[in-house]
Amino acid sequence: MSAESDMEYSDNDGDDYDYYGGQDDCDMETVDRSKADPEHFIFSCLKVEEVEKLLNESIELLSNSLQITPSLAKVMLHAYEWNAEEIINKYKENANDVLVFSHVKPRVPSIQGNSSRTVCAVCANTPPIHKYSALACGHYFCNDCWAMHFEVQIKQGVSNTIQCMAQDCEVLAPEDFVLSHVTKPALRERYQQFMFKDHVKSHPQLRFCPGPNCQWIYQAWVRVGARRVECLGCETLTCFSCGAPHHAPTDCATIRRWLTKCADDSETANYISAHTKDCPKCQICIEKNGGCNHMQCGACRYDFCWVCLGDWKSHGSEYYECSRYKEDPNLANDNQHAQAREALKKYLHYYERWENHARSLKLEEQTLANLKSRINQKVMAGEGTWIDWQYLWDAARLLKRCRYTLQYTYPYAYYMEVGPRKELFEYQQAQLEAEIENLSWKVERAETTDRGDLENQMDIAEKRRTTLLKDFLEFNTNNASSSKV
Amino acid sequence: MANIAAKRIKREFKEVMKSEEVAGGAIKLELVNDSWTELKGQIAGPPDTPYEGGTFLLEIKVPETYPFNPPKIRFMTKIWHPNVSSVTGAICLDILKDQWAAALTLRTVLLSIQALLSAAEPNDPQDAVVAKQYRESPQLFNLTAKHWTNVYAGGPSSIFDFNQKVQLLIDMGIDEHQARVALSTYDWELERATEQLFS
Ligand SMILES: [Zn+2]
Ligand SMILES: [Zn+2]
Ligand SMILES: [Zn+2]
Ligand SMILES: [Zn+2]
Ligand SMILES: [Zn+2]
Ligand SMILES: [Zn+2]
Repeated sequence: MSAESDMEYSDNDGDDYDYYGGQDDCDMETVDRSKADPEHFIFSCLKVEEVEKLLNESIELLSNSLQITPSLAKVMLHAYEWNAEEIINKYKENANDVLVFSHVKPRVPSIQGNSSRTVCAVCANTPPIHKYSALACGHYFCNDCWAMHFEVQIKQGVSNTIQCMAQDCEVLAPEDFVLSHVTKPALRERYQQFMFKDHVKSHPQLRFCPGPNCQWIYQAWVRVGARRVECLGCETLTCFSCGAPHHAPTDCATIRRWLTKCADDSETANYISAHTKDCPKCQICIEKNGGCNHMQCGACRYDFCWVCLGDWKSHGSEYYECSRYKEDPNLANDNQHAQAREALKKYLHYYERWENHARSLKLEEQTLANLKSRINQKVMAGEGTWIDWQYLWDAARLLKRCRYTLQYTYPYAYYMEVGPRKELFEYQQAQLEAEIENLSWKVERAETTDRGDLENQMDIAEKRRTTLLKDFLEFNTNNASSSKV
Repeated sequence: MANIAAKRIKREFKEVMKSEEVAGGAIKLELVNDSWTELKGQIAGPPDTPYEGGTFLLEIKVPETYPFNPPKIRFMTKIWHPNVSSVTGAICLDILKDQWAAALTLRTVLLSIQALLSAAEPNDPQDAVVAKQYRESPQLFNLTAKHWTNVYAGGPSSIFDFNQKVQLLIDMGIDEHQARVALSTYDWELERATEQLFS
């Protein structure tokens, strides 16, 4: 989605987005819908400065209650995944354990005789005694070597975990020690940037938005199962738990497997990603330019399905068969070669549909942009106000949300075991798919579609979507109670 | 080359030369050029291992940022060991990677590599094929490692059966080393090795 801010009708800017990239009205109906949405997930989208403030609060809290430097507090928070409370409790029990676990102190006190302050063990130079320094482990090295060591480490992107230079010593250099040796301003800045990034990455309640060049950071309190977060800046949909693109109803492990598989098999699968197909009836070349999979040949008016090229009539509203992959029952008797071929066929079946919906989503964004300009034209021409056409806009956004979920049902189905549960899933998937294509068809021809008819279709599609998610989003039943807060 | 690196390497070179290990013939260090950026190391196969009696050459490249970054070391002599690539000679050893410390020296590194030959780390394998054999058929692994030591590192134990199988494949037009790799990989089963070579 692109420029939403230039929408003329947009009079409620403060609330100008919902999870799927649209603006949300604050009326009761919308609020209820988001509550009924099985994907509903509480999170916030923070700016860098806000996160810095948040981290500083933890650092201050710890440094005040343990009477330690903020620099040391950072080392400990990093080691304990930012759980200040846990550190404070454990510190009261056994301070030494906490210091050792955080690598502030060495496990065993080092033998002082080991570290000479007459010859530096790293550079073999002999600077005067005041030009040596050491961490809590007492391994003294000359300040020039420390500076070089930090420079090399920072340039390699290391920040919170720079170790002492002595052999087998795991003691970490805290920020103030590093900065007392690093003088180049650019290097100091890089060190602090890396440190911040590392803090966010090690913090269980934070995650960077993976959108390109995006600076926003998500904050949430649950990190298990497919959890949808949407960026305020770039509108990317991400799973908070794993950082992959949001993927319900598929779970985190499965989507990782699927994406890896698709990357590995992209060669084999590439041939299907063509943008054009021949009309199955008159063979004229048709380019797909909308997201709808219900195609109509401009030449012969034949209605067919873009995915399977079958007659659209056979995709009747009762049972949309095209989404279901039929396993060959004679498979077990076949030889290995045939099984491999069958495996590829199965994969391609799911991949083709996955890819196709991804492409439809992109095309429907174009539809959305076109729709906006069409509505603007109508408003300019005095054919009603934006309020009158709002339903069309809502329909297009709902279509996007439904199709997104539909796309991510395919990896789920691919890995599902054959059985009644898979049958139920594919039945619901087929129903969702059918309603989405109906909706897509109507949205593309919105001006000639009856408003009541369209709104009815929206309702049906969204119901199918939530039903499927309610039944198959794993954490709804299994993981909700075990999530760590 | 940076000042510190050259100075350190010169000092370490002297340290190795004076060490008792050099005197005992366990390790050796040689200069490759006069810029101190590349050296040649040598370690003796430790006693009571399949590498006993063999001499293994190591390529040592000293980076500009030495000793703040580790030296780059690989086996030049072909070796059958779970933590060394049988193809490239790359070594999987923690102190050559994230456990490197600026205070470590070439002498400790050479001794650590020698220790690795005595005690492999099959859980951190560099060569998956070798590691699998090491875990699943340790006796066959020992023989294979001995055979490689004999052929490539001048070790004493010649294994008649293995030599014969390699020769059979050579007679079929296969390159000697390729034949040895295939046979070692397929637990010296001639049929499977041949199948793989001709597939
Ligand atoms: Zn020094
Ligand atoms: Zn130390
Ligand atoms: Zn973003
Ligand atoms: Zn996930
Ligand atoms: Zn046609
Ligand atoms: Zn179809």
